[in-house]
Amino acid sequence: MFFKPLDLTTALRPLLLPDETLLFVQDAVGLYEGKYKIPDYQNGHAYLTSHRVCYVSAEESRKYCVGIDLKEVDRAEYQVRGAGFFRSSPKITIYPKPQKTKLDTRTNIGATVSTTAHAGQLSVQPSSPRPAFTGDQPAASPKPINATWVCPICSFSNPVPSNFDPATATGNTPLPPCLACGIKPPLATVLKAAINAASNRESSLPTAEPPETGRVSVPDKNGVSSLSTAAKPVPCPRCTFMNHPSLVECEICGASLGASAAFPQLHGTSRTDSPAPFFAQSRIVNSEVTDSIKLSFRNGGDKTFHDRLKGALVQRKWLLQNAPPVPAPSQRTESPNNPGAAAVESPQSPAPRSTLVGIAGLEQRGLETRINNQLVIGNAFEDLEALMASAKQIVALAESLARESGMNSNGGASTETTTVLSESVAALGMVTTKDMLSSGSESLYLSELSRDLAEYLTDDRKGILQREGGIMSLIDLWAVFNRSRNGVELISPSDFQRAAELWEKLKLPIRLRRFKSGLLVVQRYDWSDEKTIRQFQDWMEELRRVPPDESVPWDWSLFGRAITAQEAAQRFKWSVGVAAEELEMAEDRGILCREEGIEGLRFWSNHLVS
Amino acid sequence: MSASTAATAAPASSTSFVFPSTYNFPAFFTPQPNSTTRQSQLRKWSSLIQSWCRHHRIYRLSIIEAIDSPLFHNATLRKRLDLAEARTIVDWMAKKEEEGGGGQRAEWIEGPSANSGAKSKNLAWIWWRRPDEWADVLVDWIDATGQRGVVLTVFELVQGEATVSQGRCSVLRFDYVFTQICQANSRGLEFHGMDHDVMMKALNVLVKRGKASVFGNEGEEGVKIF
Repeated sequence: MFFKPLDLTTALRPLLLPDETLLFVQDAVGLYEGKYKIPDYQNGHAYLTSHRVCYVSAEESRKYCVGIDLKEVDRAEYQVRGAGFFRSSPKITIYPKPQKTKLDTRTNIGATVSTTAHAGQLSVQPSSPRPAFTGDQPAASPKPINATWVCPICSFSNPVPSNFDPATATGNTPLPPCLACGIKPPLATVLKAAINAASNRESSLPTAEPPETGRVSVPDKNGVSSLSTAAKPVPCPRCTFMNHPSLVECEICGASLGASAAFPQLHGTSRTDSPAPFFAQSRIVNSEVTDSIKLSFRNGGDKTFHDRLKGALVQRKWLLQNAPPVPAPSQRTESPNNPGAAAVESPQSPAPRSTLVGIAGLEQRGLETRINNQLVIGNAFEDLEALMASAKQIVALAESLARESGMNSNGGASTETTTVLSESVAALGMVTTKDMLSSGSESLYLSELSRDLAEYLTDDRKGILQREGGIMSLIDLWAVFNRSRNGVELISPSDFQRAAELWEKLKLPIRLRRFKSGLLVVQRYDWSDEKTIRQFQDWMEELRRVPPDESVPWDWSLFGRAITAQEAAQRFKWSVGVAAEELEMAEDRGILCREEGIEGLRFWSNHLVS
Repeated sequence: MSASTAATAAPASSTSFVFPSTYNFPAFFTPQPNSTTRQSQLRKWSSLIQSWCRHHRIYRLSIIEAIDSPLFHNATLRKRLDLAEARTIVDWMAKKEEEGGGGQRAEWIEGPSANSGAKSKNLAWIWWRRPDEWADVLVDWIDATGQRGVVLTVFELVQGEATVSQGRCSVLRFDYVFTQICQANSRGLEFHGMDHDVMMKALNVLVKRGKASVFGNEGEEGVKIF
């Protein structure tokens, strides 16, 4: 496990990879390597994303920021406040995955029995991995669902029973108890696990068949690209999934493939030449973590962080990069309870399906899509928790439905708006919602919101500020920002204003400014009144040099010409309200003076004060 | 010498009045909100009004009449000062300098002639020379002509041939100061053709200073300056 360098956004937050989502943020976090504090990394924000754990120091953020890929993380342990000899802040310890031999370094005595640790024990006898598990499973079927649910009591990873159908499961469905502690799991946990497994579904078919046919049977071209390499796949000792030979762990259940000796080549590549002593280095970036790292939560939030970290480790979003968002309809074959699916799908459908062409094929595909949608919606509304888990799919589905309906009914303009609306969610990128933060830490929410805003404003792709001439009113910004949130997680005006007031404190590249009239505007940090005034003066000079279009009764070479707020707005690409305020600001400084006439209010270079 | 000669009206100027450059600045006619600019604007208006009145020998200015005159109405710019703003300027001129005003260069006349209510701010004295300054001018002239202790009528002072023009100056005793006063104004002494009331105010200043005594009936006052 390495400390990776981080790219920070303008608002000093980690730049997210595509598909990466922010899960949690906590401030006042310190970083430890093993038992020792890492200097300069003792007060900062910890960002948990679906792919990484990032640490950004509060002071000198660009210098002191590191990230750790979750895929290199073995497990995380939670150390409660006061558990030690003397009272200390609650900590989360993150253990790296072993690079080489694992059994000798692993101690399995801890209360937390982690997935890999358990699998590590099993991998001693890789010759007969399956009986160990099939014996435990109540009803072993030829096509097991390769999902695991994590017991909330002892965090043991249990397999989801093969006869468990997320579409039909209710509170009355019998659930097997946890294999380790014997406590029955809540339905939501199992549902979530099943749905998660369903979304990276493409792997379930290959397990039932030889890998060659598996490749043919799954039409999705991205899903099993790893299988198409020449090397011989390695079967998982626990779930029998045929893994790519270069993988260290099973792609599905996370069990270690270690002892199968499938990766001699890894020995050479992953070894670092000579890990230097830690504290000799001024920067920890790119240095290897040998033992473990600790996050010390001095301001709370540890519990949620740990929960979400565990969730992220189970979900393994980094594996899903190319997975289709909606499960393929073929998976319904294994739910005998659903007559609709059974009627449509013959058990081994892939071959006949491919022969259907023309209208019949289209109809078939439409039908499949509908059934698929039915499945997704059915799953989602089983339980609110489950809905949360499959929210992304539902949103995608709702968007596509909205796009279709817009196209069918209104066409034209409304299609465009729906498209813009539905795309804006994706375009917005990193968005902090109250859900990502522990409840009660209002100030953290505000500061994160403040950073959100700063990023939104300075994002060159959207160029919000540039388009407005570098200055825009706070109310306009509020409207635009909320609109781009697409009606979800709207921000109240008071939160918004308080977040905007934090910019200065957080040293973000924008600032809030109050005009004399009380109008609040947003500006680049380095923009000042003096610059605006210089712009006005340059303009006035220009007007004195260039003769006006029509003859004027006054001496234009002395007085120049009057400008209106509209003209200023046009010239500097401001909104008219802002232009009027800026003109009045310049008047207030004695640079300009006004003329009221039938043409309206116009501003002159101040020749009254001499 | 008859008193019927119209002296109150301003004598037509031989040379036309030269306006300052700010008179052609359109923003000059709009009251400025910025206080620094405003002060500067008022000062400029005040000096324009004073030099206009001095040029045209106007002592009392009727705002309503002046509003259409070139003073407040720039025909080329098609800009005019509105009545309220003109009154504000005169108000400012009337205030003392310590009060942030224009140094008592104007004074509202709440005269009976200004009908329809005493508070109708229409007529105002424009003090391009304040009464005490007029008094100084008078004393200088008396000194220069050696008329201390001589009894003069007010009529003589205002309309008398002695004050009328440079040409006649040589008749009287000639000295340096007198020449200066004469040359200062080619049409005669500055107070020649002066408003009777202004002259009385100036004389009253002298009386208060104990430098003159005024006697006689109204309209036929005599004055002796010591």
